Amino acid sequence: MTIKASHTVWAAVIALALAFVFVRSGFDFEYVIPKRLERLATMVIGGICVAWSAITFQSLTGNRILTPAIMGYEAVYLLFQTLLMLMLGTHSLMVLGEHGNAALSILLMLGYSWTLHRWLFRDDRDNVYFLLLVGLVLTMVITTFTQFVQLKMSPGEFSILMGYSQATFGNANATQLLYATLIVATICLVGLKSLPMLDVLLLGREQAISLGIDYRRCVQRQLFLIAALVAVSTSLLGPTAFMGIFVANTAYALAGTYRHRVTLPLGCAIAIALFILAQLLVEHLFNYTTTVGILVNLVCGAYFLSLMVRKRGAA
Amino acid sequence: MITVQDLHKTYGDRSVLSAVNLCFPSGQLTSLVGPNGAGKTTLLMMLARLLKPTRGDIRLDGSQVTRIPISEYAKQVATLRQTPEFNLRLTVEELVAFGRFPYSRGTLTRHDHRVIDDALSFLSLTTLRGAYLHELSGGQRQMAFLAMTIAQQTDYLLLDEPLNNLDIKHAVQIMQALRRLCDEHGRTVILVVHDINFAANYSDYIVAMKDGAVHCDGNVSDVITERRLSELYGLKFDIAHNERGYLCNYFKPSGNLE
Repeated sequence: MTIKASHTVWAAVIALALAFVFVRSGFDFEYVIPKRLERLATMVIGGICVAWSAITFQSLTGNRILTPAIMGYEAVYLLFQTLLMLMLGTHSLMVLGEHGNAALSILLMLGYSWTLHRWLFRDDRDNVYFLLLVGLVLTMVITTFTQFVQLKMSPGEFSILMGYSQATFGNANATQLLYATLIVATICLVGLKSLPMLDVLLLGREQAISLGIDYRRCVQRQLFLIAALVAVSTSLLGPTAFMGIFVANTAYALAGTYRHRVTLPLGCAIAIALFILAQLLVEHLFNYTTTVGILVNLVCGAYFLSLMVRKRGAA
Repeated sequence: MITVQDLHKTYGDRSVLSAVNLCFPSGQLTSLVGPNGAGKTTLLMMLARLLKPTRGDIRLDGSQVTRIPISEYAKQVATLRQTPEFNLRLTVEELVAFGRFPYSRGTLTRHDHRVIDDALSFLSLTTLRGAYLHELSGGQRQMAFLAMTIAQQTDYLLLDEPLNNLDIKHAVQIMQALRRLCDEHGRTVILVVHDINFAANYSDYIVAMKDGAVHCDGNVSDVITERRLSELYGLKFDIAHNERGYLCNYFKPSGNLE
């Protein structure tokens, strides 16, 4: 079941990718196809980031209805974009250059997460619920502040800003993609070694320590990896908010096992397939009248519901 | 042998454990008894390194436990807290396999599988190995968790109220299994237990705690006396002792409770 499920999903990914690149392309290798390949790469990297960070985060917190968005990384990103727009206006696009914005966003999100974790783990505390509470409060404070700042904006600036607050696959360029690939590949290589540890963390803090895991160090390290993944995906495609929930839970339902060795790759495949499917629909069926984010949640939500109905209890 | 020297735990100004000095005999079953809030679980959690002492020393075979890496500690001391709740679909066998993590780090060898089989058959769980945890009764679940702890093959087992919420038959089964671990496998078992009759009948050594300090400790015959238990719990005890063991009767005290 497991192997079959993951084979099916990967086959779907390949079929969708081929369709995405070649359908109605006119086999134009000069412009259309290279542009599509860029978007495809964005989706692959974004999919890996979203699925990996969501599944790891859910394992750390022992909670299947959360994504790292609750820690406020994306809120920091939106605040940064808002402040930029407020201070520099539409010139901000020029001032920071092509890569400046993405690089600064990543650094800012990593700085935020580093400060937050340092502060939260400063003494004996290694209570994940406290971490979530602080993350949620900060998210709300930052979001409210962002909205307050946005009141000061002109409608033109505001509409540009709205572009930043929704996931899109068309914004990244080749250089950014190259760096993103390098970062994500490094994180995944580091993360691969700790997959059995993540399995043990599912048993909860106390059982994990009893089985010989240095809980605090392990959680801190995983949170840092998550922050880096979220930073990369947010700078590439914008906030994904709660997409990860559907991706992760669909992966658990299809995998039929708790092992991260299975659920993580499967989750990545599901996320990539979904992104491509949504983008195909946006480009060819809806002609850009709807956004990828809405479609992803619609498709994934419907599929997850049907899974729950079909195999009650398995999901 | 686990020894504890001058152990303290305070939360802010509130002291929950003070000046505890103890020596847990090897290869024996030690029960920690006493009223709620006496510090039994706090002490056990510190032995398990789930909680840091404010002051004092815990030594395992002479060396300070804080000097032992946690991954090595897991090969010597296994802990089971009150059955944790998690929303995982796990079979009994998968759960028990987690007990091998300190050795295998996630990739089970043939030896690991043999140890898992042994742990399952030790607790007569072999027929349930494929069953999902959430489909089991509370007693069977507790047995499965105990099997995981046994599969960890440690010299020391720390158990926090393993009889909680169990019917009397499952409670007896668990206590008999722990007794056999000591007698047949030479393991050292330390457990927190509320039922004084189970402590009296299955322990080698009893530590009675009250108000964050050791009230008294010693062999069963030293601790299970009407005077000591009355002091410990503030209840009147009638203790009957025959060849089948102890029976501590405290159920209907005459007069009012203080």
